[in-house]
Amino acid sequence: MEHELDIGAEYEALMQFLYMAPVGLVQSDLKGEVALVNPVCAQLLMPISPDGTLDNLFDAMRGVAPDLLNLVESFKPSQGLICDAMRIQVDAGVRGKVDPRVFSLSLVKLDEARLMAVLNDISQQVKREQLLKHNEAWLNAIISGITNYAIVSLDSHGCIDDWNESIGRVTGFTAEQVLGQPYSIFYPRGASTPDRVLDRLRDADLQGWSLDDGWRLKADGSRFWGTALIAPLTSPGDGSEGVAHVNGLALSGAYCLVIRDITEKREASEKLRQSTSCDHLTGIANRRTFFEAADLELERLRRAPRPLSLVMFDADHFKRINDTHGHPAGDAVLRHLAMLLTKTFRAVDVPARIGGEEFAVLLPSTGPEGALVVANRLREAVASSTVEVDGVKIQYTVSAGIAEFEEDMVGMDELIKRADTALYAAKAAGRNRVERWQKP
Amino acid sequence: MAESVSLAFDQADMAARLDALSNADLDTLDFGVIGIDAQDTVQRYNATESRLAGLAPERVLTHPLFTVVAPCMNNFMVAQRFEDAAQSGEALDDTIDYVLTLRMRPAKVKLRLLAAPGAATRYVLVKRNV
Repeated sequence: MEHELDIGAEYEALMQFLYMAPVGLVQSDLKGEVALVNPVCAQLLMPISPDGTLDNLFDAMRGVAPDLLNLVESFKPSQGLICDAMRIQVDAGVRGKVDPRVFSLSLVKLDEARLMAVLNDISQQVKREQLLKHNEAWLNAIISGITNYAIVSLDSHGCIDDWNESIGRVTGFTAEQVLGQPYSIFYPRGASTPDRVLDRLRDADLQGWSLDDGWRLKADGSRFWGTALIAPLTSPGDGSEGVAHVNGLALSGAYCLVIRDITEKREASEKLRQSTSCDHLTGIANRRTFFEAADLELERLRRAPRPLSLVMFDADHFKRINDTHGHPAGDAVLRHLAMLLTKTFRAVDVPARIGGEEFAVLLPSTGPEGALVVANRLREAVASSTVEVDGVKIQYTVSAGIAEFEEDMVGMDELIKRADTALYAAKAAGRNRVERWQKP
Repeated sequence: MAESVSLAFDQADMAARLDALSNADLDTLDFGVIGIDAQDTVQRYNATESRLAGLAPERVLTHPLFTVVAPCMNNFMVAQRFEDAAQSGEALDDTIDYVLTLRMRPAKVKLRLLAAPGAATRYVLVKRNV
């Protein structure tokens, strides 16, 4: 008895399932005589049925799809898909007031006696598609009309997922060279890291865009000064993955990257940047720029953990150089050291002058081993070169201390303190050395 | 007493008469009765309609009519008529030929749509054509 009751309840639940199914379902014979039909199907068909009945599917749809009987009869296999999401224009709508109504119909032949139909109102979908085509036409017109922008579609990992002529025009890269590559392909070696590629995407997610100026790379290896703007491609009110395709063929991805060649404006914009963010004497980043960059890197590191190293450099016996050769000689040494720092470290690293003869370099996505290698390279480069001031040849050395950011650190100050401790150890051990911070 | 209730499908002044009947009385009528409130939520659902549709009242009561119970009426022929009447503040008493999909079988029915300005309950009456 209990078993029968369960079946009764299940039957009722199944029935309601079909009542509520948000898609029209019909089973008929091959002539269209309806055996089973669900409510949404009736909702869709009743208003268009010429005689106001649902006895026959083909009769009910005669006014909008007169060929259905022919279609079914000309389908010879004993079973299979007769039509798949065939579009049926129900009415033309009123331009600007009422959207045209469009149904989609799929017909499946189950056997020689039965037909299954799925009917759907896709008016909204068709409307969106038309809007897309419209946007696409606009974008294509814009993209082909401008010459100094490259518009690049990126997937959610920052890889280039589409090609258009603007990319070739600005960078010289071909579709084969860039498709599937991270957008750092447009950056010179050392000017980006896999972490940084993703960082800019996250920055764009958080604030709506991410912008940076700097050297960009062309396919032939030459460089140009460019801005790179990354913007997420989302649509208001809908954050789903599918909407990433909103802007059509040219921009089908998750992000849009716009690279603009501003070589001509570089001098002016760089002059301004240098005056506020660079050290006057040496031309590399000043203290403020260093701490801003450190702040940003710490924020990124908290979002997506990765190694971060700091190297502190100090010119050995700098006071003695000043005393022996005079201040102009001391300045020349500092400029020389700054030049070597810029030359030795990657563009993504941030070398800065943070004190008199004290320099710091922040190395994103780099552990202490990697930092040690580059720091020693710098130390050797200094030791093997000569600075000439007013005919006097000066040789000098540097010492360096390295520390790695650890999760439990409060902030940048602690990292600097550790690197300073290591630097002091290098000095104490005889100078012209690089030491890593050791747990006391 | 239930036996004493006798209302014809085309009875005049129907809405007020239905309002006056108890749910038990509604169950004795030979046509389906669905009563909805201003939010289209089903408040009354008689035994005849329950039998025709194959749905127990507890699956239907307090649910929205046009999405959960009878999506087939959610078009300009039925739902729109109620909306228009509510908007214009006019009484609605239309009888139309319609096809319902009771138990997934197309069934020709007459629907009588009743709404009066200010009335708490609006009705859809369902009579199977014979």
